[in-house]
Amino acid sequence: MRKLRDLGRLFMYLFIVAAFLTVNFLLFMHIENIRFAALITGANAVAMTLLLWFIDNHRRKKMIDEPVKKIQDGIDRVTAGDLTSRIDKKGVGNAYEYGSIIDGINKMTEELGSVETLRTDFISNVSHEMKTPISVLQNYATLLQSAGLEDNMRIEYAKKISAETHRLSALITNILKLNKLENQQIFPEKTRFDLAEQVCESMLEFEPRWEEKNLEIETDLDDGVFISADREMLGIVWSNLISNAVKFTPDGGKITLSVKKLGGSAVVSVTDTGCGMDEETIKSIFRKFYQGDTSHATEGNGLGLALVRRIVDIHSGSIDVRSEKNNGSTFAVTLPL
Amino acid sequence: MFKILVVEDNAELNRTVCAYLAQNGFEAIGAPCANDAYNEMYANMFDLIISDIMMPGIDGFEFAKTVRELNSDIPILFMTARDDFESKRRGFRLGIDDYMVKPIDLDELILRIDALLRRSRIARSRKLEVGALTLDMDEHSATLGGEDIPLTVREFNLLYKLLSYPKKTFTRTQLMEEFWDAESDSGPRVVDVYITKLRTKLAHCDDFEIQTVHGLGYKAVIK
Repeated sequence: MRKLRDLGRLFMYLFIVAAFLTVNFLLFMHIENIRFAALITGANAVAMTLLLWFIDNHRRKKMIDEPVKKIQDGIDRVTAGDLTSRIDKKGVGNAYEYGSIIDGINKMTEELGSVETLRTDFISNVSHEMKTPISVLQNYATLLQSAGLEDNMRIEYAKKISAETHRLSALITNILKLNKLENQQIFPEKTRFDLAEQVCESMLEFEPRWEEKNLEIETDLDDGVFISADREMLGIVWSNLISNAVKFTPDGGKITLSVKKLGGSAVVSVTDTGCGMDEETIKSIFRKFYQGDTSHATEGNGLGLALVRRIVDIHSGSIDVRSEKNNGSTFAVTLPL
Repeated sequence: MFKILVVEDNAELNRTVCAYLAQNGFEAIGAPCANDAYNEMYANMFDLIISDIMMPGIDGFEFAKTVRELNSDIPILFMTARDDFESKRRGFRLGIDDYMVKPIDLDELILRIDALLRRSRIARSRKLEVGALTLDMDEHSATLGGEDIPLTVREFNLLYKLLSYPKKTFTRTQLMEEFWDAESDSGPRVVDVYITKLRTKLAHCDDFEIQTVHGLGYKAVIK
């Protein structure tokens, strides 16, 4: 095929050169020398054609064949799994956009590489987070088998096992949810509903806990804030934000809940009088498995806010965090109506 | 003694749930699959059924549907690993009464069973008694220490609902959706008016009070 195309081009040059020379020939010919003129012109035509053909082939080799080969080799390396390989752009001009293509492929490989790193980090995080509670369980189960264990110790160990299984189960639930939101194509199932009502209902799920901690609850809810969104997903957002607020607010503290309609958006904010966060912590809280306050580490799994962020993103909303160390936090979610 | 049927294919889970129920004064019988459960139901009268969803053969949805066709009153509680909203919706549409996601807290299970049995008793007798107050569902009448308290139908329904689920807070919208028809023009704030009226009419009743929960809703607290 390739040879045939080359041959085709050869005939094209021959035709161009022949046409050019025929014009020359007709302009300059003298009747008596017609044979000689025809011969010279014919020889000229062949020579010029060969020259043009040779130059063109060389140009093609340099400008097309070599870059294509380079790109093909590069793609082969990535396909074989080497995400660190990059295609060398040296000596490749941009006449046929090959330079841009190489840039694009390199960029893509880099992105694939970082996703791969994230994935590896995620797996090692997950296995660490899962193995820790399992070994705690194992240890308490071993302790429970000791002979002559006092009743109060036995009860304490059993309670620890119970608490640890809850933690493990919450972790698995969150990992599965996050996995679903990140790895599958998401089509939010949008319905129209009363946002303030949903936030209220989420809040009421935590009633036993805030009563236990004797927290003061203040609400500022606009009536009739209707939103088109995935109801179940947003439920995860509110329960995570409220759960955090309840968790980090000390006994006797206060939680303020507000749902407001501002222009074409709805703003839901949850404010607590808890321990607050420094700037470094605020930057990291949406990262998977990040836990800012290690003293509360046993109560969570560092996935809640990653889930929140993802869901807010899917709904084209934004989340704003204001907090100061020892001075409470406010999480405000803005969603298009 | 209340008799409870536990339908769960995992033998360990079934055994532990039954053991805990027995410890808490219930008579619990375990069945590893829906067919065994049907056989148990021919032989015994149960007061409540706890069922898994994912079981070999007949699943929990189908089981609940069949049970509901035969008996519209018996409380059914789903105990399942599926925590998606779709499964919950499907379950409740089939007529189940409660839903718990595994791993379940056995103490919470007992609390929920108590509440379900209490409500099913209320539903059967169609009478609710809180201290000196008696609400009669058939006559829509309320008596406090033998003395009639005149309540409108809507006031009665609101009170009945709140007292059927003591300590549970309902939002205004939840109450509204249940007792006002969809065409009603009034906003959820109209519930406040009714609660105020109820409080005035029941000012002499010391056995419970209707509390406002921080602008979120209302709940009845029995003293």
